[in-house]
Amino acid sequence: MKKISQFIKKIQIGDLFTIFIFILLTGYLSSILWNFPQGEYLKIHMGKKEIGSFSLNQNMTKVIEGPIGKTEVIIDSGKVRISKSPCTKKYCIHHGWIKKLNQTIVCVPNQISISIIGNQSDYDSLNY
Amino acid sequence: MHFNKLIVLLILLLTGCYQNEIMQKKEYIFGTIVEVTIYGETKDHASDAIELVFKEFRRLHNYLHPWKKSIIQDINQSIKNEKIYTTDDEEILSIIKHNKELESMTSGYFNPAIGNLIKAWGFHRDQNPTDRPNSILIDNLQRNLPHMSEINIHRGYIESKNKNIQLDLGGYAKGYALDQAKKILSENNINNALINIGGNILALGKHGDRNWVVGIQNPRKPNPIGSISLNPGWSIGTSGDYQRYFIVDNQRYSHLIDPNTGYPATNSQSATVLLPPIESSGTLSDVYSKPLFIAPEKLKFSIAKELGIDFYMIVMADGKISISNDMLSVIKWHEKIDEKNITVH
Repeated sequence: MKKISQFIKKIQIGDLFTIFIFILLTGYLSSILWNFPQGEYLKIHMGKKEIGSFSLNQNMTKVIEGPIGKTEVIIDSGKVRISKSPCTKKYCIHHGWIKKLNQTIVCVPNQISISIIGNQSDYDSLNY
Repeated sequence: MHFNKLIVLLILLLTGCYQNEIMQKKEYIFGTIVEVTIYGETKDHASDAIELVFKEFRRLHNYLHPWKKSIIQDINQSIKNEKIYTTDDEEILSIIKHNKELESMTSGYFNPAIGNLIKAWGFHRDQNPTDRPNSILIDNLQRNLPHMSEINIHRGYIESKNKNIQLDLGGYAKGYALDQAKKILSENNINNALINIGGNILALGKHGDRNWVVGIQNPRKPNPIGSISLNPGWSIGTSGDYQRYFIVDNQRYSHLIDPNTGYPATNSQSATVLLPPIESSGTLSDVYSKPLFIAPEKLKFSIAKELGIDFYMIVMADGKISISNDMLSVIKWHEKIDEKNITVH
C-alpha cells in the first residue's frame, strides 16, 4: 500500500493526460475491434410494414412516406443516418450515423424505424 | 503478489469466454453435400464427434453404393446370376428387411428393387443424364417390375427367384445415415446438433435457447419458399425434381421414377415431410417423401394418412401447394403465397 501511495504522489499533469489518452484509445479500439460485428443490411419499417432491406455497401438515399410526411434515409458505404424528417423535434436526425449490428433509429411521429441487421440468414440449414 | 494473482485470474477468465458457439463441417458424400453443425461444445469435443460421424457417412457411402463396388453390388450380382448370397452381416440383413417392409407400407411407391429402371434412365452416374432412354426398354423393364417381397432373407443368406431385382437404396441410405449420425452423436454426449444430408435433415436438441430452423427450397427459384422451426429430435425430408433431372424437348425427367409407369413422376415439383422423433425417423423422413412425390394426386393424401404423416407439403407440377393443416400451422412463409394457390388437407 505504501508503494502505491508513493506512486500516486509522483503522478503529474502530463501523466494524467497520457493515462486519459490511453483510456480513450482503449475504449475506442475495443468498441471497433471487440466483438461488435458490423452490420450488413439496413432494414426499414414504416409502422408494422417492412419497407425492405438494403445493403450497407452502397451510397443511396431512400425516401419513405410516413403518416406525417417524407423521411429521408442516407446510406453512405457502411453507415446510415436519417437526413430529413417531417417531425418537429428531429431527434432522429440528431441521432447521427449508425453502423453497428442491431443499432436502431426510430422516428416516432412519422412511424419510421431503421435498424442494422447482419448477414445471418433466417435459417440454420436448407432442406432441398 | 496479490496483483499477480489477479492478472492470472483475469487471464483464466478470458480463456473461459473463448468457446466456439457453432462448429460446422461440410463434405461431399452420397453424391451430395453433407453438413453437420454442433452447438455449444468445446472445439475439441465437437470436432472429434464430427469426425466420427463423417467416418460413418463415408463407410455407408461405400457400403450401400448402388453402382460402385459395395455389398449392394455383390448382392445384385448374386441375384442376377440366380445364386444365393451368403453373409453374416446382420446390418445388411436388417436394412433389406426394413426396405421390404417399407415397400409394402407405401403400396409399392417406394420400391428399392428397381435398380435396372434407374440405371436405364441414366441415373447410375454422378452426372445427370442428357437423353431419354429407348421407350421399348423402359416398357419392357416396367412390365417385369420386380418387388422387394420377392427377396427372401434367411439367417445368413439372401436369395430371390426373380433375377430382375436390382437393389438401389438411393432413397434410403441418406435417411439411414441420419439415424446413424444421431446415434453416434448421442453416444458421444453431443446434445445439440443439426445434420443435413443432401436436404434430409435431423435436429438434435436446440440451437442455444431457440430451436434449429431449416429453410425449405422453392423448387423453381434459388431461395427458400418457407422455413420450419424443428423441435428437438424432429426430422424433415424433401424429394424434388430440381437436383437430379434432365430436360429434353421441354419435358423434365427427374430421378423419381414411378414404378407403376416406369417413367419419372411428373405430377409434383417437390414433396416435404416433417416427422416427430419416432423410431428410425431419419430414415422415414427420406423414404416417406417418395410416395408423396410419386403417387397420383388423388392418392397422395390417403397415403399420407395411412403412413401417419401429419406434417407434409407438396408443391404440385403447376406450382400450387397442397399442405396438411398441421404443416400449415408450423411453416413460416418466406414468399407471398396466394390463397388461391394453396389447398389445405
